[in-house]
Amino acid sequence: MDFTFSEDQLLFRDSVRDFLVNEVTPERIRGIWESDSGRDDGLWQQLAEMGLTGITVPEAHGGLGMDELDFVLLAQECGYVALPEPLVNTALVAVPVISQLGGQAAAEWLPKIAAGETRVAVGCSDNGLAEDAAQAGLLLWAEPQALYLLTPDQFSARFNESVDPSRRLYAIDIAAGVLPAASGEQAAALYQAVLDRGALGAAAQALGLAQRMIDISVQYTSERQQFGKVIGSFQAVKHHMANVAVRLEYAKAPVTRAAYALARGEAAQVAVSHAKLVACEAANLAAKNSIQVHGAMGYTWEVDLHIFMKKAWAMAGTFGDTGFHKQRVAEHIFADGVALGAGTTF
Amino acid sequence: MKLSFSPQDEQFREEVAQWLADNLCGEFECVRHRGGPGDEHHRVAERKAWERKLAEGGWTCIGWPKEYGGRGASIEQQVIFNEEYARAGGPGRIGHIGETLAGPTIIAFGSDEQKQKYLPGILRGEVFWCQGYSEPSAGSDLANVKTRAEFDEAAGKWRINGQKVWTSLAHESEYCFVIARTDPQSVGHKGLGFFLVTMDQPGVTVRPIEQLTGTSEFNEVFFDDAECDAADIVGAPGDGWKVAMGLLGFERGVSTLGQQMLFQNEFDAIVKLAKDNGAAKNPALRQRIADAHVGLKILRYNSMRMLSGGGDGSLQKEAMIYKLYWATWHRNLGKLAMDVLGQESEILDEAPYELNRLQSMYLFTRSDTIYGGTNQIQRNIIAERALGMPREPRG
Ligand SMILES: Cc1cc2nc3c(=O)[nH]c(=O)nc-3n(C[C@H](O)[C@H](O)[C@H](O)COP(=O)(O)OP(=O)(O)OC[C@H]3O[C@@H](n4cnc5c(N)ncnc54)[C@H](O)[C@@H]3O)c2cc1C
Repeated sequence: MDFTFSEDQLLFRDSVRDFLVNEVTPERIRGIWESDSGRDDGLWQQLAEMGLTGITVPEAHGGLGMDELDFVLLAQECGYVALPEPLVNTALVAVPVISQLGGQAAAEWLPKIAAGETRVAVGCSDNGLAEDAAQAGLLLWAEPQALYLLTPDQFSARFNESVDPSRRLYAIDIAAGVLPAASGEQAAALYQAVLDRGALGAAAQALGLAQRMIDISVQYTSERQQFGKVIGSFQAVKHHMANVAVRLEYAKAPVTRAAYALARGEAAQVAVSHAKLVACEAANLAAKNSIQVHGAMGYTWEVDLHIFMKKAWAMAGTFGDTGFHKQRVAEHIFADGVALGAGTTF
Repeated sequence: MKLSFSPQDEQFREEVAQWLADNLCGEFECVRHRGGPGDEHHRVAERKAWERKLAEGGWTCIGWPKEYGGRGASIEQQVIFNEEYARAGGPGRIGHIGETLAGPTIIAFGSDEQKQKYLPGILRGEVFWCQGYSEPSAGSDLANVKTRAEFDEAAGKWRINGQKVWTSLAHESEYCFVIARTDPQSVGHKGLGFFLVTMDQPGVTVRPIEQLTGTSEFNEVFFDDAECDAADIVGAPGDGWKVAMGLLGFERGVSTLGQQMLFQNEFDAIVKLAKDNGAAKNPALRQRIADAHVGLKILRYNSMRMLSGGGDGSLQKEAMIYKLYWATWHRNLGKLAMDVLGQESEILDEAPYELNRLQSMYLFTRSDTIYGGTNQIQRNIIAERALGMPREPRG
């Protein structure tokens, strides 16, 4: 048994973190909000040059061939900077699902994704809207009984403005006569995979978002003075942040656990639901308490906090909301013959 | 990352399970699933005999290094031992303060003489320990202890005067580890000593304190010129705080594994109950039970993560968080158990004041957020040491 990441995994994480923190600044994100496409092609290229767009693409198709456990740490870093680009959905959802489909689809699209020649968007009927559908060369659209791989000429997309200006959400209409890439049982399994993988990606990003909000708040409360003291020395302020730290730190292991299950091809549903629930709770609490300890400052558009707060809000609702995931956990617990007592370590 | 046990570990599991099946029966049937938190008064004599039985099989102190009589068991093996122990319904361990606190502290900080004198009794399951930290004026502010230790040159012994309070199992213990002030001029955490004190002597008086459970697990302990050999101070006079804090580190390590197994059994019992009495169909309770399950998994994964060490850098922070998390989780579980029981939760098993297992669990869990550092104190520590927020002014 070993519940730790390897030195290599951590080193890679560190270098990606440095890159993201330097390149994806709040100023750059605000610039992206103002742009027409809402995306930054230069940034996507930079990510491709780092090998990140192809990180889970098999080496035979020009990628790095890494797995979910390698990527889950990086997804947290994407959350830390509130990366608008669809890297997490690409690496954690689209690429593994297209790889599973194999054949012509894999041979055609995976090398392009790895090379950064195209973005790939992911949509799932449970979410309703598809993120980045109009910015991508390929849309993977999953329904319980049909999985589609759509090129831009095969669907129309209507923009829906999100509370999180970093998110580009589209309602999708598939053109008449377009056939699914998978149907029946295969599609059902892939739909499940899209949902679980998307949920894990959201959970991992939520961890990073929570960490960012803590960092911003600790810094602010260590500088802002009232009653002649820095407000961070007041217990009521401290305990707000300590509560967030607890939720966050303890949400990490369930997220790791879920990534491990996916990487090993184990049944992952319950582990993913655990992860999604606790990581998004941590991020929501971080958002709530961070705004509180900022006072009125936290309520402004100018202060960067809301960039992260709104992304956290979006992550909680995407790929299954709280009710959905709690329901899955409850069904597991109350199913017949489930072992819950001592001896069920993992 | 490897979240599974090796074949050797699984073999070890079989060995443990077999030994427990062969031995936790007959005269020990009456203590199966008993003697845990809130139930410490149950069949103490039988549970002490059980400690000796465990020792005969070599199942006390399995995590201690071999040179001190332990098995040098790996973390995995300790996890497995605790799982099987709980699965078999192993009784609450009276020896846990000696095995997980006093012993490791003596191994880490004690002299050779102390090791020879004290470790074998713990290993044999014959000698029991209690923890003399808290005092009437030193609770959260532990460094405010007033109990004094003066060295009597003529007798060549330490003389201890003062009072401890909330001392768990003092009435069942042969020894107490006591923090006392060796430098009468000192204040705070300077000038303290860490003493190994014999309970059975004229200078020590133990008085039970009745808890809201109607039972008493903790006590007041009075020291009136109590004697302690010159050789029975751990470290030097003035080192007391360092040793006392080192001990609290052990409290958060492997000793938590057994506790989690207890939690898993409690959770299992609540789920069974909810299925039986229909509470599982109540959507509000279903959600709370799902929440409890998520929390339990969090505890489990995080202690696995904490114990597998590694260079994550945040593990230090995790250890600080552990107490606050489990205590709050367990307190909520107690309330959940009562809500799943419904109106029945109010009715005692038997007069006079015989609580059922879940009722005593509920009441006991009210204290989880107090002992071993209250939730408020934990939050201060997390904010100041893990997050690096400014320190609060202290008087
Ligand atoms: C079941 C049980 C078993 C125990 N067993 C032992 C034992 O074996 N040995 C032993 O030595 N002790 C034992 N204790 C004592 C335990 O360690 C203390 O109760 C604990 O440290 C709290 O101290 P106190 O009770 O004096 O509360 P106080 O310190 O008086 O605290 C009262 C309230 O004030 C709050 N408070 C105090 N200071 C601050 C602050 N700076 N900031 C914010 N809030 C604050 C606390 O959080 C709490 O809510 C046991 C206690 C219990 C309940």
